Amino acid sequence: MTTEDATAAPSLDGTIWAEVDRALSGITASGEPSVQDVIVHIPRDEIVRGLRALKTDAALTFDYLRCLTCVDNEDEGMDVVYMLYSTEHRHNLTVKTHLDATDLHLDTATTVWRAANWYEREVMEMFGVRFRNHPDPRTLLMPEDITDTFPLRKDHPLAEIEVMQGEGMAFPSGEGE
Amino acid sequence: MNAELFGSQVNVWVDALVRVLIIVGMMTVVVMGLIWFERKIIGRFQMRLGPTRTGPFGLLQSVADGLKLVAKEDVRPKNADPWVFELAPYFVFVPTFLMFVAVPFAFGFQVRVLELGLFYVLAVSSVSIVGWVMAGWGSDNRYAMLGALRAAAQAISYELPLVMAMIAVAMVAGTLNLQEIVLGQSRLPNIVLQPLPAFIFFTATLAELNRTPFDIPVGESEVVGGPFVEYSGIRWSMFFLAEYAAMFILALLGSAIFLGGWAWPMGEQWGASWQLLLTTVKAGAFIFLIFWVRSTLPRMRVDQLMGFSWKVLLPFGFAQIMVNGFILVNGWPAVTSGVLLGTTSLAGLFAVGWIVQRSVSRPRPRPVMMARSEAAQ
Amino acid sequence: MTTTTPGQEFETQDLMINMGPQHPATHGVFRMVLQVDGEIVRDLIPHIGYMHRGAEKLAETMDFRQGIGYMDRTEYLAQFNAELSYVMAVEKLAGLEVPERAQWIRMILCELNRLSSHFMFTGAFGTDIGVFGTAFVYSFRERETILDLFEEITGDRLMYAYFRPGGLAWEVTDNFERRVGEVLKSARQGIKDMDGLLTENEIFRARTQNIGIISAADAIDWGCTGPVLRASGVPLDLRKTEPYLRYAEVDFDVPVGQVGDTYDRWLVRIEEMRQSVRIIEQCMAKLQPGPIMPERMPRMLRTPPGEVYLRTEAPRGEFGVYMVSKGGNRPHRLKVRSSCFANLQALKDMAIGSYVADAVAILGSLDIVLCEVDR
Repeated sequence: MTTEDATAAPSLDGTIWAEVDRALSGITASGEPSVQDVIVHIPRDEIVRGLRALKTDAALTFDYLRCLTCVDNEDEGMDVVYMLYSTEHRHNLTVKTHLDATDLHLDTATTVWRAANWYEREVMEMFGVRFRNHPDPRTLLMPEDITDTFPLRKDHPLAEIEVMQGEGMAFPSGEGE
Repeated sequence: MNAELFGSQVNVWVDALVRVLIIVGMMTVVVMGLIWFERKIIGRFQMRLGPTRTGPFGLLQSVADGLKLVAKEDVRPKNADPWVFELAPYFVFVPTFLMFVAVPFAFGFQVRVLELGLFYVLAVSSVSIVGWVMAGWGSDNRYAMLGALRAAAQAISYELPLVMAMIAVAMVAGTLNLQEIVLGQSRLPNIVLQPLPAFIFFTATLAELNRTPFDIPVGESEVVGGPFVEYSGIRWSMFFLAEYAAMFILALLGSAIFLGGWAWPMGEQWGASWQLLLTTVKAGAFIFLIFWVRSTLPRMRVDQLMGFSWKVLLPFGFAQIMVNGFILVNGWPAVTSGVLLGTTSLAGLFAVGWIVQRSVSRPRPRPVMMARSEAAQ
Repeated sequence: MTTTTPGQEFETQDLMINMGPQHPATHGVFRMVLQVDGEIVRDLIPHIGYMHRGAEKLAETMDFRQGIGYMDRTEYLAQFNAELSYVMAVEKLAGLEVPERAQWIRMILCELNRLSSHFMFTGAFGTDIGVFGTAFVYSFRERETILDLFEEITGDRLMYAYFRPGGLAWEVTDNFERRVGEVLKSARQGIKDMDGLLTENEIFRARTQNIGIISAADAIDWGCTGPVLRASGVPLDLRKTEPYLRYAEVDFDVPVGQVGDTYDRWLVRIEEMRQSVRIIEQCMAKLQPGPIMPERMPRMLRTPPGEVYLRTEAPRGEFGVYMVSKGGNRPHRLKVRSSCFANLQALKDMAIGSYVADAVAILGSLDIVLCEVDR
């Protein structure tokens, strides 16, 4: 019941990590257990290669992109997270890739799943992560003229934003919050 | 120059003025009644009450709406073509009221008994499409434009089956004079002899009036009101008035040429008030059918609408005319030719139904039910 | 050298039509720019974001109980399903065990909500196809009876905020069983009504069959979920593939379409409504008195660090909540994976080449909720 029990040392044994590790041979990947799906960490430069390997591998066939999002860890950079699913084998996997706060560039996953298109656009405008070679890098949810601020970042103030029509966003004196 | 009006001799211009005033005044009242009727009927179809608040049974609802519309600001879009935009309502309004001239209400009770009454009504009714296209073009709105083009295409497509249906009836009646067509039906209404043209007429009427399932030019969920999207206030209410007036007139026409108008089943010796009542009841039934269809059927798509007109209604209309010609040219006794006409036409109607049924209701795989074992594999 | 035939001398230009954000057929504030050649759609550019309220960012500043309300407002036609994903994510992170009675009640409410949401679809889709309000009014009668029940239980017609991490906010009303029985009776009639009014109607069939076909492979690639995916022939229903609550203990079928067109999406939803009724009946039979919250609940709910992507089957498909916790009483990051968002992406593929009226029908068949798309 208590919180300690729930997280009592989940392990990678008996999960699909073994299969994933085999499929990702040649790519530096590390596994991490979690309360639900296995998490695989793949470095940024190899991410698309890794994702494609996961999709095309016959024993895994992660052909369904459940979700793609980003987590802002402030000083520790950002994590781009891919939730994968296989409609054939019915298993799940979470893939994470780490970005340094200073270099938020990444290759696009739209070449692997078309579904990544809008998710990446959302991450682009909300977190400022740049997806290289994205086919349609316009804003999605935000107005077209607001491209200089990233609302879902942790340093973005929650309130007290003065919107000046047509001139983008401006913060009140100082730094917002 | 004098003319006879209500039994007394008056100047022709006075006569004309009085008749026009009667038409306009009566039509306005009738249209208000129709709108109330439609709202009540459709309300009932949809488990609602319809208007109840204004006057007894909500009868004054249309008056209230009319007052509101008159009081509204008449807005014209900045980029609209001023002349075309402002004149469009009249081009819809006037032809509709011109149709009224030849429509028979009771024996001798119509504005003018025209020798070519049927032809006249058809000719005048197709003019109003000009107003629709003007409204669509002049509004400088793309929905309006799209709606107007749809309306034009639809009017051209359905004018032809309408003409075919009327020609078939005229052949059977042997005249284009509406009064005589009605008189000729005092024993048997034309719908018995000509069910297929009656069906074609009803369908084409729905399309002419842009009512469901042919309300493509004004489809709310696609072109948001079509050509009228930019109109407001009095101009919009003129379109509205014309639409309902056209519905009333076409219903009268349909009851006159297919249901026997004021003549069937009572013959012409009954008084004008009974004949008026009979005409109203028949037209009311026709209008009720239009409302019924409106509250039940979905809207067709533009290509399906065209296909139905050109591939089904028009060939069958032609065939009916040819069959009528073959039968009538022999000069057989009335009973023989009547039975032949009725049976062939009914067969044609069933053929139309069969074709439509076949083309639409192709066998179709239904969803499979995945039970636990399969779905969870 | 090129020769011109008389038909090719005209130079025509495609017409751009801006549909929305204020348009009766866009179900809220969705905007699509149609490039039409006559009546045929050549290109379609969807624009979303008019309803973006930053619900995810707001939920990151709220503690776990306050965040429930934001889920209602995110998915305002299937509120219980949205709440369910959120509270189950918290439960998973905190390791809370939900009492059995609470699970059954959650299931009943979620399935009722699926019914009400699908009734909304049948009505709105009827209007899109052009039925003058009749389908809409009949559907809304059924939806109203369900909302009345929800109002009796939760005190609100739309924003319930009734699920809590660990269980339910309070016990259901005493007459719950009788009321559910009444609602089911009315819903069964409503399903029959909608089925009878439209499913076999010739014009309806002509308007919807073979329109907006998306193949199974494409649907998977675009990440479509829910009835849209199942109509394309992929038997993917989270209630079956990854059973949560007590779905493994009830017997129901998953309808799977064979063509993947607009008509199949309609049929699949109609059939899902029947299955929902079946599920609720079984749940009512298994509902036993008992606690609705765990014995020991901390006064202030805190979770250990961790992350979870919890998905449940909402009426429109997979409603996922990705929650990252760094310890403490609020999520560090909350991402709502909206089902309509994924379905809407595929709209362009489905609509290009069809008629303008079909584009409206296809959009209607996706059954989007813009609040959920934009969050």
